[in-house]
Parts: sequence; structure tokens; C-alpha cells
Amino acid sequence: MGALPFESVEELQAVLGRHAYLADRGLATAVWLSLALNKPLLLEGEAGVGKTEVAKVLSALLDRSLVRLQCYEGIDASQALYEWDYSRQLIAVRAAQLGEHEADLFGPDFLVERPLLAAIRAGSRAVLLIDELDRADDEFEAFLLEVLSEFAVTIPEIGRVAAEQPPAVIITSNRTRELHDALKRRCLYHWIDHPSIDREVQIVRVRAPEVPEVLARQVARAVARLRAMDVAKRPGVAETIDWSQALAFLGAEQLEPDAASATLGALLKDHEDLELVRAKLDEVLESE
Amino acid sequence: MTSGPMRAKAEPRGIERLVGFGRMLRARGLPVGTGRILAFCNAVAALDHLDRDGLYLAGRLTMVARKEDFDAYDEAFEQWLPSERERLLSELAGWQQDARVEEREVEVLVGEADSERDSDAGEGEGEEEEVTIGLVASGTEVLRAKSFEELSEVERHEADMAIRALAVALPLRRVRRYRAAPRGHRFDLRRTVRASLRTQGEPFHRAWRDRRSKRRPLVLLLDVSGSMSSYSRALLQFGYAAVRAGQRVEVFAFGTRLTRLTRALRRSEPDAALRQVAASVLDWEGGTRIGGSLKQLLDRYGQQAWMRGAVVVLCSDGLERGDPLVLAAQMARLGRVAHRLVWVNPLKGSPRYQPLARGMAAALPHVDAFLPGHNLQSLEALCEVLSA
Repeated sequence: MGALPFESVEELQAVLGRHAYLADRGLATAVWLSLALNKPLLLEGEAGVGKTEVAKVLSALLDRSLVRLQCYEGIDASQALYEWDYSRQLIAVRAAQLGEHEADLFGPDFLVERPLLAAIRAGSRAVLLIDELDRADDEFEAFLLEVLSEFAVTIPEIGRVAAEQPPAVIITSNRTRELHDALKRRCLYHWIDHPSIDREVQIVRVRAPEVPEVLARQVARAVARLRAMDVAKRPGVAETIDWSQALAFLGAEQLEPDAASATLGALLKDHEDLELVRAKLDEVLESE
Repeated sequence: MTSGPMRAKAEPRGIERLVGFGRMLRARGLPVGTGRILAFCNAVAALDHLDRDGLYLAGRLTMVARKEDFDAYDEAFEQWLPSERERLLSELAGWQQDARVEEREVEVLVGEADSERDSDAGEGEGEEEEVTIGLVASGTEVLRAKSFEELSEVERHEADMAIRALAVALPLRRVRRYRAAPRGHRFDLRRTVRASLRTQGEPFHRAWRDRRSKRRPLVLLLDVSGSMSSYSRALLQFGYAAVRAGQRVEVFAFGTRLTRLTRALRRSEPDAALRQVAASVLDWEGGTRIGGSLKQLLDRYGQQAWMRGAVVVLCSDGLERGDPLVLAAQMARLGRVAHRLVWVNPLKGSPRYQPLARGMAAALPHVDAFLPGHNLQSLEALCEVLSA
């Protein structure tokens, strides 16, 4: 078991809170076990529930550097692991031709480090965030599986690079497709849900202190109601914060229909959703 | 729990309990292998303090890898840790004091349980099991050929699962725009020159551009009038499979008027989506006005990017209550907009069927493919037609 700088899950939860991330016990336990067992943590959940944020906060509170690998369609090993700096090599070849000193063309000087290699080299001094893995394709996932199981790579010209201690790894997915079982087996799996109303109020208050308590509560309640409606894109916590900030910026103390309707674009980014919710605005804003 | 002899006694029991829970999940159909059970034991050992929630989370984090399986897990956990939980918790706490999780041991424990089960089965039950397997297999065959309308509730569920597993691949279309590509047909002078600057003007790296391909969108038009509902339901599952496969899918239901269902289908929970669909279609099982509905579709959405060049699948029995001339005209319009127009008519599943209904006869000349789609087998055929 790796030595943890926290005594208990509760303490971790409190420390996360001090770093402005309000985690429930489930998430705190997930992070705790992930660190204790040295297993990557796979976080799934709808957009905007704070999956990526976990890694950022974790790197801050462990005082480790954050190495981020943003996945996208068509990403491959040379973009994720390492690549040779070909143009520098060419220049070095010319210099060699001109009789200047000979350089080792495939030495560390010419290696361009990409996130995975950086994370392996940094080892336990880094938090590796593999963001939106569902966007990458199957082949990349297979490749990643290899790296995650060994935390070592072999670069033919240089040799094997291995992490003494594996870095903390957070993987996020928006579930646009199902990830492979083999990869999941290596990970701990946690699903982040939309927070409860109370927690969302807390989150808004922590992240946007300028928002009055009353307004934050009304906003959180309205958003919860709205999530239960038939909207195509359910707003995440990030949107709740945006909306609260927009309302507060306009000087609102309470959630009034006019201001709500005018700022709804901060919450919903789909034309049909906007129409739907505007039509039922009374229902959404209804106070208890 | 700190006295030596007690701990020594509690130790094996603790791990047996944990492995037992893993096996229980497996027995309930969750994909829990030895590796996951091992991770579970380690996780419990690593918990800072042991309580019900901690155990629950440790199990879920390590042995469940899909949100959909959470419910099954909850149920199993409830059964595993019922009222007697105080005893179990203290047992585990004793074990946890200095837990040692050896991979070998877990493997042995998992293995023992498996072989126990095998030997149980050896005495007379083996045969029975084989028979059951045979039944299941032939059951699937029967299911494949059985018309959707004749399915029982259980069979329908099975069929839904089978439909969702169909691989829906839509044909590719070339996009006009060129873009940077590792290999391509057009030389990319701009990028090449830019790259050459870094190599002192030597065009060492030659860059290329090429046209990309994109999947064509799929548009499903589902007749929800009385006789058609069970077939439309099956096709909706089909649409769901396509959505999950990451295809661009639009779904409409029509009876007397057109309802767009796409939004409901985008939800992550298929069953919830289907219930919503049922709730949002106002004219379940009324009469059918295909021509009018198509006109509505084309007027409103005919210019949309996902409509032009799409593969359109229309599911209806073709019993038109409106004017067949209108239907013919709208089918012609639709045929011009769409890349392929497929008509799925469950009545065609009957060998004696002839497309004599006036509506059907008027529509047929504009249709690229005419299929039955009344059972699993014919939906498989539909898959093939779509990808052609």
C-alpha cells in the first residue's frame, strides 16, 4: 500500500473540500482506494459533473504535477507517448556534415516527450489525467492498456523507461461508447451522479461566493427540476454555477422569471431545450 | 479483536467471506473474475475503517464496471450483508487488522468453489443442464423466426436484446472538403513549405491532403397505428442500436401526424426512452395518413443536413387512409432527398402477401428496397441492406 498523506477517507473528503471540491463519500472512497491500491480510477458520468476537476484538485492537494492527456478521434502513440524531433535531427545532420561535433541523433536531446512518457518519468510525482478516453478509438485503448499495466515503455534507441512508482491515474469517459472490459478490469470504477440539491447549493457557494445563499438554493432546486424534465442535454454542475453567476451579475437576489428567462442560455445550450423550458418556466421556478 | 489467537482464527474466515461475495455476484451474472475479487479483497484491506458503506463502495468500485449493473449489485449486497451484519463486520474487522491478501489464496478459494459446483452438477444434474442449454439454443432459433406480434413479454425482452446487439453499419459518403491527411491525393504545398522552414528550406517532410468519408445518417419513420405498434417498437430498438453505435440517427413516429422522437432516443436509458416515446406520441393506434405525414416531414426537415443523403427506413403496412396520389408524390420527393429509401412492411412476411393496397402500390415505384422486417431474421437482413 502506498503511503497516503491522509489518515482516513473522511480526512481526504475534508481536504478535497478545502480545495473547493465537494466530494461525497463514494467519490472520496474511490480516490482513497485508487491511491492506496495504485489502481487507475475510471470516472464516468454525464458532462459537467466534475470528472476532470477531480484530477486537477488531486494534483493540487498531493502537490504533484498534473499530466493531462486529452484524447480525441485518431490520437496515436506518437501523440501520446513520444516522438523524435525530426527537424532538429536534420539540422544536426547538417551540422555534422559541416564538420562540427557529432551528435547522438537518437539520444534524449532529440526525444519529444508526450504526456504518457512524461507521466512515466515523473512516476509518483505526477497525477496522470486521461481525459475523455471514449473519444479515442479501440486501438488506442489497447495501447493504453499496455502502458497502464506496466508503467514502462521501451524506446528502441534508448532503452526501457519505467516508473519507479506509478503515478496516480484518473481516466474520464462521457460514455459516448463503452470502454473495453480489459481496460476496466485494471481500474476502479466510479459513476459520478448529479449532486443532491443541498450539495449543489454548497458547490455553488464555494465556487461562486458572490452568489447569495437564497439565490443559490432556488437555482439548485430549479436545475434539479429541470434535469428531471425531458431535456436532450441535462445541465451539469458547471452550468449551474454559470447560471448562478450570470444571475448574480445582473444583481438578482431571488430567482425571478424575467431574469431567469434572459439568462437561461447559460444553462441550456440546445435550441429545442430552451423552447421547452421557456414554455414551462413557471413549473421550473415554482417555489416550494 | 486484537488478541492473537482470535485473529488467527478470524483471518481465513474474513477472506472466505469476501471471496464468497465475489462468487455470489458472478453467480448473478456479473462479469466478476478472480482478478476483480482479488482487487476487492485488497480494497477492503485498505479501507481506513470498516462499515457497511465502506464495504459497499469497495465492492462496487472493484467489481462493477458499468452503471447499468449497479442495481444488480445493490440487490446482491443487500443479500450478502443482511441483518446479521454486525457479526460479519466484526469478523472482517478482525481479519483486516493485519490482512494479507495473497493472489494464490484467492485463486484457490475461487477455484475450490467452482470445482464444488462442478462436482455437484456431476451427479445427475449435468444431463439436465445440457438439455436446458439445447432448449435455449433452439429457443433463439425459434425466436429469430417468430413474428414480433406473437412474442410473449419475456420473448420480447429477449428479442429487444438481440436487436440492440445488431451491428448497424451505414454506408460511407465522401465529404467534399479536403483536409490534412497523413497520406492523400493532393500535395499540401502550404504545410510542406512551412515544415521545410524548420529544416533550413529542405522539403524533407511532404504533406498531403485528402477527402474524408463520413457515415450517412439514418432516418427511421415508424408507423405507430394499431396493427403496426409491435413492429415499430422493434424497429425503435433497432434505432437505439444505431444511436449507440455512434451513428447519426433521426427517428419519427407517425399515425395521423408526425412526431419527432429523436430527442427521447438520445437518453442513455433505453427503457426510459421508450416509455417517453410512448408518452409523447399522441396518436398511438389511430388511423394512418402516410402521405400527409411525409409532407410534414419534408416541409419541415427536408433541407436539414441529416435528411439529405440519408438512408431512410420507413416502417408501415401501407394501408393509407389519405389520398394515394399525395403519397406517391411525397414518396417521389423523399426518394430525391434520400440516398436510399427502404420500406419495411411486416405484412410482406406472409408468403401470400401482394402489395395491392392502393397506398403501397403507389409508393413502391419510389422505393429502393422492400423488406418484411417482421422478425429478428428479417431485421438482420435489413442490416445487410442498409450497409450495402
